[in-house]
Parts: sequence; structure tokens; C-alpha cells
Amino acid sequence: MSDLLPYLIGGLANGALYGLLALGFVLVYRATSVVNFAIGEFLLVGAYLTYTFALFLPLPLAMLAALPMAFLFGLLVERGFVRPLLGRNVVAVIMATIGLAAALDGGVQLLWGPDLKYLQGELPQLGFQLGDTFVPSRAVWNLLLALPLGLGLLWLLRKSRYGVLVRAISEREVAALALGIPTARILAGVWGISALLATLAGALLAVASGVGHNLVFFGLKVFPVAILGGLDSVGGALLAGFLLGVLEALSGRYLEPILPGFTEALPFVVVLLVLMVRPYGLLGERQIERV
Amino acid sequence: MMKRREFLQKLGVGALAAVGMPYVATAQARPVKLATLLPLTGPFAFAGNAGREGFVDGVDYVNEVLGGVGGRKLELIVEDTGYDVAKGTAAFNRVVSRERAEELLFVYGDSTGLSKALAPEIARMGLPYSATSFANELADPKTYPTIFVFGPTYNDMMEALLRQIRLQKGRAKIALVYSNTEFGRDPIPYAKERAKALGMEVVHEEVTPPAFTDATPIVLNLRRANPDFVILQGYALSVEPLILRTAREQGLRAQFMGTYYSAELALIQRAGPAAEGFTVTYHNAYWYDTLVPAVDEMRKFRQKKGRDLSYRPTYYMGSLAVALAIAEAMRRAAGAGKLTRAGVVEYLEKLGDYNGLGLLLNFQFVNHRLPYTKLYRASVKDGRFNAITDWIKLA
Repeated sequence: MSDLLPYLIGGLANGALYGLLALGFVLVYRATSVVNFAIGEFLLVGAYLTYTFALFLPLPLAMLAALPMAFLFGLLVERGFVRPLLGRNVVAVIMATIGLAAALDGGVQLLWGPDLKYLQGELPQLGFQLGDTFVPSRAVWNLLLALPLGLGLLWLLRKSRYGVLVRAISEREVAALALGIPTARILAGVWGISALLATLAGALLAVASGVGHNLVFFGLKVFPVAILGGLDSVGGALLAGFLLGVLEALSGRYLEPILPGFTEALPFVVVLLVLMVRPYGLLGERQIERV
Repeated sequence: MMKRREFLQKLGVGALAAVGMPYVATAQARPVKLATLLPLTGPFAFAGNAGREGFVDGVDYVNEVLGGVGGRKLELIVEDTGYDVAKGTAAFNRVVSRERAEELLFVYGDSTGLSKALAPEIARMGLPYSATSFANELADPKTYPTIFVFGPTYNDMMEALLRQIRLQKGRAKIALVYSNTEFGRDPIPYAKERAKALGMEVVHEEVTPPAFTDATPIVLNLRRANPDFVILQGYALSVEPLILRTAREQGLRAQFMGTYYSAELALIQRAGPAAEGFTVTYHNAYWYDTLVPAVDEMRKFRQKKGRDLSYRPTYYMGSLAVALAIAEAMRRAAGAGKLTRAGVVEYLEKLGDYNGLGLLLNFQFVNHRLPYTKLYRASVKDGRFNAITDWIKLA
């Protein structure tokens, strides 16, 4: 067990990042039925925003300062790309997000330049010894930020008035509009929160591996996580994030020696297996369509 | 007396000559072209753009300071590949179909994948070619007589690291961590074979994706294998810092090493104190090696041109070295009246007395690669890599 524990801690810490990013992705999907293919670019923009603030602020403050900017960025995306397509076929919005991804890739390079960057400063050291196992500072930070935020959002969606409105819109947008719910404003807020979560994940990632275009690849991980949890389940996204993080760590320990390179394919294999048994994901809503 | 038909024939020849003469004259003054297919966008944009700058400076220097190539201007063509084989292939086809064969005398491509895909076509066209890749397979003049690797191959780089390991610790235990890409896998069979031949033991191998977000399982596996040295291969400066930081956190004592693409200062900046002692192979000069004539010259040249004098990355230096060496080979070919694709290949093969203003030991190709490198070690205090060896000859 003492051998296994560090792998589990690493997996949970990485899973926290998966969960954070998937949460924002699923939130948008649930509220608007839009699959946001630009989620990796949201993370990229967030990391660069943090980088910019870290040039003149200590890193924790820079991360904090980047969050409202990221929220604003989410609002702008909604206003510029999504709202003009409101009422159109959802595929049109999905295609727009693919275009947005390309535009953001180019925009980031234009604005910040192509050279390699890194976050100046460090987060305060929170690593500690747990018996024989050392719990690294990064793992503590990932869990410390992702868990309360994820659970808080879940609570907000279930219990708060804002959450009820989001759920009402996601149930039936036209009915929500008819009841006088400020749909456009609330949906803009959902995009803002999604960008904010992606920014946090991006900043936590960039602390160790630097700020650069490679971060968008992390966005690809969101798809197996979200599908596994159930595309419309916010709680499922968080759970699936942790699950995949831990499974990847365990695969790194036990399967890699016999199947080198397998861990890269693992998320997709798990998704395939789960979808065979539960086509709507672990916690997704079972939808029955009558034809 | 000239017959009418004879007269008309002569008139025709004369008229043709009159029309054709200026054409011939301009043809002589037409530029010689060097095309580059670089990843200006995408995950390797940082390397592609720095490389482009090296080519721009190199070509400008050749034209403005060295007087061009045999009286002709050297012209640079730049195309973006986005680090994508399909896009790179399209860019290559665009360039070779647009440009005249007698003018386009060299193409510099991008990535191991693209270069391997283009290699048979390049051989068929007899087009002098090199690339950002140092893949072993490309340094094969029998199969690809016009392809050159402007540096040691990844196999050579492994050889240099293994020799250093043997110097530091006789029967060392080694671990290999590499990405599951052509770039990552290229030198692994050679490294395993050579390590064994040198009396070392490869105690662990890790195959990873080219980019990932958590190095804990890798480092814990390494800790269990307990190697003396860990060699990283096939990454682009986001994975190495992650592994180094995690190794430090988890108390791994092994010494880490890497090859050319890990030899950039961003590694030290991103890994922080965990970068201390990271040893790399690197075969050009750093921008801070001001004793190297090329660096001194380029600093002055950039200042004269009003260009930024701040740190230029290793990819800049690599491209500069290629541009200078190609221009030199072209100049020699022009001097011998052989400024053709075949002539450039011939004179590249005879460039052994040239050293690119000190950017390399020399350009004496051995099997179409330059088997010379130095080893550098990261110093966190200095924020740079410092040379720990002189030139090592690997063949």
C-alpha cells in the first residue's frame, strides 16, 4: 500500500485538473447543448493571462487577478460567437467553436509571441510528509483549488437561484424565455464560468510545465472525461476526472511495464467500455427519444 | 549575294538573339533560392519562428556582407508547416512546382515525420535537403544522396551522453524515458545496444506521450528502478521541466540528461532549481558565447539592422549555421561553374575546412551528418548552460 499511495496521490492531483476543465466544458454543454471544441484554447488563454499578471504580481495574486479577466473573456466569446447564432441549429455553434479554436491559437501567438514562456514565481510550498510518502506541493494545490470549487459549483447549481435558472434553461430554453428568465445573460455567465475554470486549470498546469501552445493538448483530455462522466452531468465530470487521473496513474504503475505506451490510449479504452454498459456515461441523464 | 531565304533565316536568328539576350542577361542575375518549411504556428512555433529569424539574418548577412553567391542574390522562401506532415508536404509541393529547378537549390524542412515522408521524392529530384530533424535514417547518402543532417544524429547524441556517463561512473545503471514519436524512438535501439557494449545496464524504459500533465507515475517508476542516469528523448521543453520538478519533489537522486532539443534556456527557467546539473548535447554556440565569431558578427549585424539584441534561442543558431554553410557551398560551386543542385551536393560534401564562423567544429560531413558535439550542464545560478567538454568527435 505504501508503494501504491504516491501513485494514487499523483493520480488524484492530476484528476483534479481533469475534473476542473471538464466541469467548465459540461456546464456549457448542459446549459446550451454546445460542445465547445475551443476548451483547450480557453485553457491556453487563461495560462497566458496568468503569465501576464505574473510579470508584475506574485504568482498567487496573478492567478487570482486572471480569473475575472478569464470570466470577461468567456462573456466576450459568448457575445461574439455564440449569441449571434442563438436559435440556429446547435451544429452551427459547434462549428463556430472549431473556428474559434483556430482564431484563438493564432490570436495568442500574435498577442504574446511564439517564444517559450514560464510563470515567474512559485506558489507557496504546501508539500508534506504522510508516513513514508511525500505529498508534493502541486498535488496539494490542485486538490485544494479543484475540490472546493467543483463541489461549490455543484451546490450552486442544485441549491442557488442562479443554478435553478441555469437548469431551467437547459431543460427548455424557449419555456425559460417565455417565463421571463434572462436567458442570454445567464448563458453568458455560464461561458464566463467555463473560461474561469479552464484558466485555473491552465495556470496550475503552467506552473510546472511552462506557458506555451502545448497546453491546448490538455484540452483533448476533456472529451473522454466528460463523456465518461455523462456529458450533461456536472458531478459526473468531477468524478470522472478523478477516476481517469487515478486509472492513468495505476496504468503507469502496472500496465506500462507490459504494454509500453498503453496509458496514452487508456482514457479512450475506459470510455469505450463504460459506454457499452452505460451509453449515457456514469452519471449522465438517460434520455429517451420517441420517434 | 545572299539569297532571300538565307537572309530571312539570318534575320530570324538575329531577332531571336536580340529578344533573347536581355533574357539571358537577367537569368544570370536571377537569385539563387533557399526554401524553408518551418513550423511557424502550432506546438513548435517557438522553434520555427526562431529558426526563421536565423535564416533571415543568415541570408541578409550573405547578401549584404559576403556579397551574395557568385554575384547572385541569395533569396529566402519561407513556408509554414504548422508541424503537420500533410501541411508540410503541401508546402513542399507548392514550392518545388512554383520555383525553377536551376534556381531552387536547397530546401530546409521540418520534423522527422515530414522529412521521412519527403525523402524518396527529394532523392528522385536530386534536391539538396536538410531539416530540423536529426533522425538517424536521414543520414544515409546511399539511399538519400542529397539529404544532409547539419549536426550529429540522435544516435550520435546518445553516444556522447553514454561516453560522458562512462567517464563519470563505470558500470552505471541507466533509464531511458522517451516520447512515443519518431523523434522519441529514433535513437533508443542504438542507446540500448551501446549502453550494453559499454558495460552499462539499462534498468528501466518509459514510453510516454509527447505531452502530458503529470509525471508522478514516471518518476515513481524511475525511483523503483533506481538508475544513476536518466536520459530524456523526444520532448519539446514542456515535459522535461515537469519530470525534473517531480523528480526533485520525490527525492530521485539520478542525474538527468537530454539531447539537442532540450538544450534551451527555457528548460532552466521552467524547471527552476530542479534543472541544476541537467546535462545536454548541443553542437552550435549559445547567444552568450560572445567569443564565437558568429555570435559577435551577428550581434553587430543585428545592431546595424536595428534588430533586437536580446537572447536568441538555439534554433536561431542552428538555422544561422545552415544558412551560412549552404551559402558557402553555393559560393564554392559557383566558383567552379557548378551552381546547380548536383554542384551544391558536391560542394557540401567538400566543406570540411569551413566552420561557419565557429558555429560548429567544421562541416566535414561523415555519412552526410556532422558527428561533433559538446556537452553542456545547466547552472541555475547562472540561468544558462555551461560547456563541460570541448568538441567530442563521434565518428
